[in-house]
Amino acid sequence: MPTFTQEAIATKKKKKIELVGIDLYIITDKGVPQFTDGEFGPFKCEFISNRGTKVWPGFVSPDLLMVNWYRCRFMAAKPIKDHEVADFLVQLSKKWEWSAAQKLWNYDGEAGYSKAY
Amino acid sequence: MATHVVTMIPGEGTGPEICEAVRMVIDASGVDIKWEYEDIGLDCLEKYGTLLPEKTIQSIAKNKVALKGPTTTPIGTGHKSANVTLRKVFDLYANVRPVRLIPALKRPWDKLDIINFRENTEDSYAAIEHMVSDEVAQCLKVITWPGSYRIADFALKWARDNGRKKVYCVHKANIMKMTDGLFLEAFREAAKKYPDLETGDIIVDNCAMQLVRNPGQFDCLVLPNLYGDILTDLCAGLMGGLGFAPGANVGDNCAIFEAVHGSAPKYAGMKKVNPSAVLISGVMMLRWLGEKEAADRIEKAMYQVLDEGKRVTYDVGGTAKTDEYAQAIIDKMLAGTK
Repeated sequence: MPTFTQEAIATKKKKKIELVGIDLYIITDKGVPQFTDGEFGPFKCEFISNRGTKVWPGFVSPDLLMVNWYRCRFMAAKPIKDHEVADFLVQLSKKWEWSAAQKLWNYDGEAGYSKAY
Repeated sequence: MATHVVTMIPGEGTGPEICEAVRMVIDASGVDIKWEYEDIGLDCLEKYGTLLPEKTIQSIAKNKVALKGPTTTPIGTGHKSANVTLRKVFDLYANVRPVRLIPALKRPWDKLDIINFRENTEDSYAAIEHMVSDEVAQCLKVITWPGSYRIADFALKWARDNGRKKVYCVHKANIMKMTDGLFLEAFREAAKKYPDLETGDIIVDNCAMQLVRNPGQFDCLVLPNLYGDILTDLCAGLMGGLGFAPGANVGDNCAIFEAVHGSAPKYAGMKKVNPSAVLISGVMMLRWLGEKEAADRIEKAMYQVLDEGKRVTYDVGGTAKTDEYAQAIIDKMLAGTK
């Protein structure tokens, strides 16, 4: 008879996984980072959030508390490969200090990442 | 020209009938308010393609104050909570949720008078979630020094300004040493400015048990977002339910007042539900606007109506409709001015 752990592992479903973007956490004291389209190959910045609140694009309260840590979501127009992420990080590191990067995957076509408020 | 312009967001489900009753009472209190009605919630999806229309955001940005009815948050769908979005967009970092004994509810406690100050913008509510593999999900718990310091400072100042004596920080810093540790450290730093107050800290699980055993020992609590969400509902339960649990979401220059409870869609249109939680939120709003006299009049009349128990809603043993209960409060206020 399988254990609960064995049973749980057996329920895992195979999913189609696609790499579609990257969340990059940039540290800067110079305000909201700005990027130009095409600066980083296939990646285009979709939004930037600070403490989970979207600070670009759109309305930003003048009272909003911002810390020096920005989540910048870069999406690619089509599914991408690992080497393109590596190239992106090399390019970005020339201009920005960053604390972490998180790949964004779609699982069976559904986003495996949250939107920003 | 009205003294105050307030954005009124009736919300969904029972929200519109509750807010109408509350507006009746507030208008009858003698305070001069022009109400600007705005939409929020699922109905807006069809109309505007978003739960929170830009027009509503602009109205609050202009007026700096709103009274809001309940909304429905879809569970597990792609739509972000309109409530959380509002708090984040306007950086309403202090969620103030007072609980106190209401005699009509006949609770077993000798004393219950707690003001909860829940940090409203950070923690696991930062909406930074990822499926980091096909079988692992993660959520970042974001705690910052300035975010923690300001909620502590806000709570301590509120406590001092309102004659409260004791403020405790609730945390789990014994396990989450970085995140909750930072929250606690910021609280201790802010507390140095308030040597006249008794300050301390309590681990969240112990706090939950102590609240249930002896809620009278607590005065003011400062909590990170998630613990605050959970324990303030526990506190509402101590009081007798969400029907009387008010709330204020306050930032440096803007505030939105709303009840803790949801939209109860199954009762929508029946004029059955108790509007007290939104009404007490409205009373908090009047105090925030400096209309202390009107706030006191409403509160006094409401407690009188509840004590008499004649024209009250079903949840407190009566048969009055939402608007009949509101009218009873108005009648009591008017009788008090004769």
